[in-house]
Amino acid sequence: MSLIVEGLSIHGPEGCIVRDVGFTARPGEPMVLLGETGSGKSLVAQAVMGVLPAGLRAEGRILLDGQDLLALSARERRGLWGRRIAMLPQEPWSALDPTMRAFGQVEEVHRLVRGRPAAEAAGAARADLARLGLATAARRYPFELSGGMNQRVALAATHAAGAPVLIADEPTKGLDAAMRDTAAALLLGEAREGRILLVITHDVVLAGYLGGEAVVMLEGQAVESGPLRQLLAAPRHEYTRRLVAADPARWASWPARPVPGGRALVEGRGLHKRLGGRELFGGLTLEVAAGEVLAVSGPSGCGKTTLGNMLLGLARPDAGEVRRRPDLGPLSFQKLYQDPMAAFPPTGTLGQALTELLRRHAIPRAPAEALMRRLRLTEVLLGRRADQVSGGQLQRFGLLRALLLKPALLFADEATSRLDPVTQQEVMDLLREVVAEQGTALLVVTHEEALAAKVAGRVVHLAPQVVGLSPDGVPEAALAL
Amino acid sequence: MTALVFPALAFPAPRRALGLALLLAVGVFALLGPLHGLDPLRQDLSATLLPPGSAGHPLGTDHLGRDLLARLAHAARLSLGSALATALVAAVAGTLLGLLAALRGGLAERGLLALADAVQAVPALLLVLLFAAFAPGGFLALYLGLSLTLWVEFFRLARSAALSVLARPQVEAARLLGFGTGHILRRHLWPEVAPVVLTLFAFAAGTAVTSISALAFIGVALRPPTPEWGGMMTELLPFYAEAPLALLMPAGLIFLTVLGLHLLAGKEQAA
Amino acid sequence: MRALSPLLRLLGGRLAQAGLVALLVGSACFLMVRTLPGDMAYRIAASRYGYDLVDTAAARAVHAELGLDRPWYVQLAGWFGDLARLDLGTSLASGEKVLEKLGIELGHTLLLAGVALALSALIGLPLGALAGLRAGSALDRAALVGAAALRAVPSFVLGVGLMILLAAEWNLLPAGGVGEWEEVILPALTLALGLAAASSRVTRDAVAAVVASPFFGFARAKGLGDGLAFRRHGVRNAAIPVVSYLTLQMVLLVEGVVVVEALFAWPGIGHALVHAVLGRDIPVVQGAALVMGLLFVLLNTAADLACWSLDPRRRA
Repeated sequence: MSLIVEGLSIHGPEGCIVRDVGFTARPGEPMVLLGETGSGKSLVAQAVMGVLPAGLRAEGRILLDGQDLLALSARERRGLWGRRIAMLPQEPWSALDPTMRAFGQVEEVHRLVRGRPAAEAAGAARADLARLGLATAARRYPFELSGGMNQRVALAATHAAGAPVLIADEPTKGLDAAMRDTAAALLLGEAREGRILLVITHDVVLAGYLGGEAVVMLEGQAVESGPLRQLLAAPRHEYTRRLVAADPARWASWPARPVPGGRALVEGRGLHKRLGGRELFGGLTLEVAAGEVLAVSGPSGCGKTTLGNMLLGLARPDAGEVRRRPDLGPLSFQKLYQDPMAAFPPTGTLGQALTELLRRHAIPRAPAEALMRRLRLTEVLLGRRADQVSGGQLQRFGLLRALLLKPALLFADEATSRLDPVTQQEVMDLLREVVAEQGTALLVVTHEEALAAKVAGRVVHLAPQVVGLSPDGVPEAALAL
Repeated sequence: MTALVFPALAFPAPRRALGLALLLAVGVFALLGPLHGLDPLRQDLSATLLPPGSAGHPLGTDHLGRDLLARLAHAARLSLGSALATALVAAVAGTLLGLLAALRGGLAERGLLALADAVQAVPALLLVLLFAAFAPGGFLALYLGLSLTLWVEFFRLARSAALSVLARPQVEAARLLGFGTGHILRRHLWPEVAPVVLTLFAFAAGTAVTSISALAFIGVALRPPTPEWGGMMTELLPFYAEAPLALLMPAGLIFLTVLGLHLLAGKEQAA
Repeated sequence: MRALSPLLRLLGGRLAQAGLVALLVGSACFLMVRTLPGDMAYRIAASRYGYDLVDTAAARAVHAELGLDRPWYVQLAGWFGDLARLDLGTSLASGEKVLEKLGIELGHTLLLAGVALALSALIGLPLGALAGLRAGSALDRAALVGAAALRAVPSFVLGVGLMILLAAEWNLLPAGGVGEWEEVILPALTLALGLAAASSRVTRDAVAAVVASPFFGFARAKGLGDGLAFRRHGVRNAAIPVVSYLTLQMVLLVEGVVVVEALFAWPGIGHALVHAVLGRDIPVVQGAALVMGLLFVLLNTAADLACWSLDPRRRA
């Protein structure tokens, strides 16, 4: 059994998007397509599944056990779904029917796709769910389950029809580090059961965990391929080298900055916060000194952004107090946002936004333009709207906006988590340089422990909170087996 | 609804352009119709139910020999004028109150929400009917009743649009960067609230045209001999066999006006 | 027990709305009695005995009967006291008990509204679902044009058109009256076409959204065929916005009932209301407005409950 892709090209209305990609995937050995947003890796997965968006056309050969899938009619390809090829959905919490219990979503595959009698299908579905530690979740609706549990329900439903080929397109998108490891373990388990596993990702850490073979894609072309361990240890292509180096675990640690003495910029004492009936933190005390780099890390939902917002005065603690140094005005505390697009008004150009800011605070144009050049922002961008520039450019523009006010403290709230790894590294490097030049203290909030460890002099770890339900109490690690 | 509606207003899409053209046509008819100088109320029992194209009566006459062109054009003035006026009053009041509620919150917001709930507890037409019962045949009760029911939708829409914008990081960022409420209103709220309000305005004006003519048709609000499209249909209904076009003309004008307003509103809305 | 509390909240809200309706209608009618120009008692006496027979003595008798000489707050308390006891008084015009009169008329209105809703569901839902499944197709565009045109036609214009075509020109259906089943079709069709114009678009959008949703795509990827995927995951999810929209549609229905009943002389609540408004028969105005308003609340509650049972997220 094998899945062989040969000379696959994908053409759109404006020409060739993917050119001449080929690989062979075998049972038990994960096949990873690695690349950044827009590299065409997802299109390859969609071509294999047969779900290319309208207007795109695939050429070449995709051989499943010697049968060329591209030669089949759309109807014949539909017949393979679930039975021969299965695709794990991105963001499983939105891929499950919100109005059907977990059990039904797995059971229907056994009964309606495989054609088993009702009693047998129910038994099989219960067994599937129990095997993934979801026995007690069967009667629940997706909105009553945690993200990790939804992911397992989706996995159970995906392979219920017994497809030997499993495709996972960005399976860790939107997941924090802990959930990423669980997802990787689940996928590896699928491969070890003898399935052909094709994983599409930009995440070098996930790829390293999976092992197996890899193809690195850039701008629609395969630039490098080979066994993953070898590829990560000794990348040959320039892009692969940058991609591998962009993993925060491989970054050089930021040099420690001399921290002048004196009073802290901001201090929080005995901070308590509850959200949705859950205690985020109780009795937390911390302070940020002038010029230091402090990181707060923890899994999603642990309250780390709320903590940052409290220090800036954007959120109130339920108990305890936050004191900012009295000589600092409100403009001395600035923030970079996780989604830079949401931090700009959707109408009007960036140039307009900049001009308004300069006029509001009577800042002369010349230093602003100097800082723009320092942040490698060109004049051309000023004529565009926020949705017409890249995420990295927009985040650098957000940095420009904040630094023009000469803040004492800059709060970077997951500021690079939505950027591609290489872009993330570029933005973080730039951030390190300019805050050091301006003597600005930096508060970095991130779910990536590795990133926190590399950038900060001090790291505050917020304890992981139990998100959702875990009624069966099966430790997540046990599910990998 | 997104901010994309706003540029679409500046550069009319085909549908909007068609709507605008229809409204302009009705508007021109309303302005030019009376120019030929006939009194919409003057009866001439020797020339009843003349067909369109008759001498001196381009669109014919009704069962009392009144000139249909004059009556239809005066009715157009009345319908368009009063519909736009009531919708404008409702839009301005509702939008301002909605923005106020979103920005201030607290007691003002809760009070206004309770008032809105109270008004919407009863279907709008029922409320207008109750108003009309105070003074059947009166203009004031009609307009007051319509404005009173229409402002609620502007209030709710403006408030919820404003609240969704205010909750976004872009507003928090603007405040952190030292901008005041005026800037947030102008740069963040207005570009998102305005297109929504304009769309609703066109729909509300359409609702007003429909309500005014429907109430006149059942004889509750404006009454004969005041020329009004709905009222004219009531009068001409018994004569449809002899003069089908006379009945069709007011009906067609109502249709074109409401269609024009709906097309101008842009997105086909459900309610 | 925990699942009950959202339901109780929902029902409590609707109950408050019903109270608000009674308060609003009651106060408006009371205000009407106080502010109507001319001597109320004289007008009422005249409407009862005819203008020729009315004299000051008769007017004074009516005045005393209505208690118009008491202070206003006593009158208001009495007014709401009567309302609370469901004593809606007697018609000024005919002397009938308002409650009994409205009881018969409510039956007619419910028949009309029920047939109209059923017809609109038969027309609007399948058309909308087909257009949604083939979003962007010629059928979808044609349905859009049809719905947009129909929505620009007020119900009375539509009713006049149908009356002339179906009843007078083609003699297919009777134009008015009540009693025969054919007589309900014309007014109900008038209402139904207007309702279907709106509901078909809501259905179309809901179905198109569901078909394009990640969970529908996943259902297909699991191996379910299109028909199965739609039956198992499409219908229920698309029904949620359609049923929620019913609450908005009730406004159209109640408003339409008033106009259409008047047009077709259908002896229902709306017809009674219009006549009472014209004749300033305030007890009937109050009774009819109250019944229509409460009917509106009741229909809304039914739509809420349907949503509640369809969508597990609302039960949590």
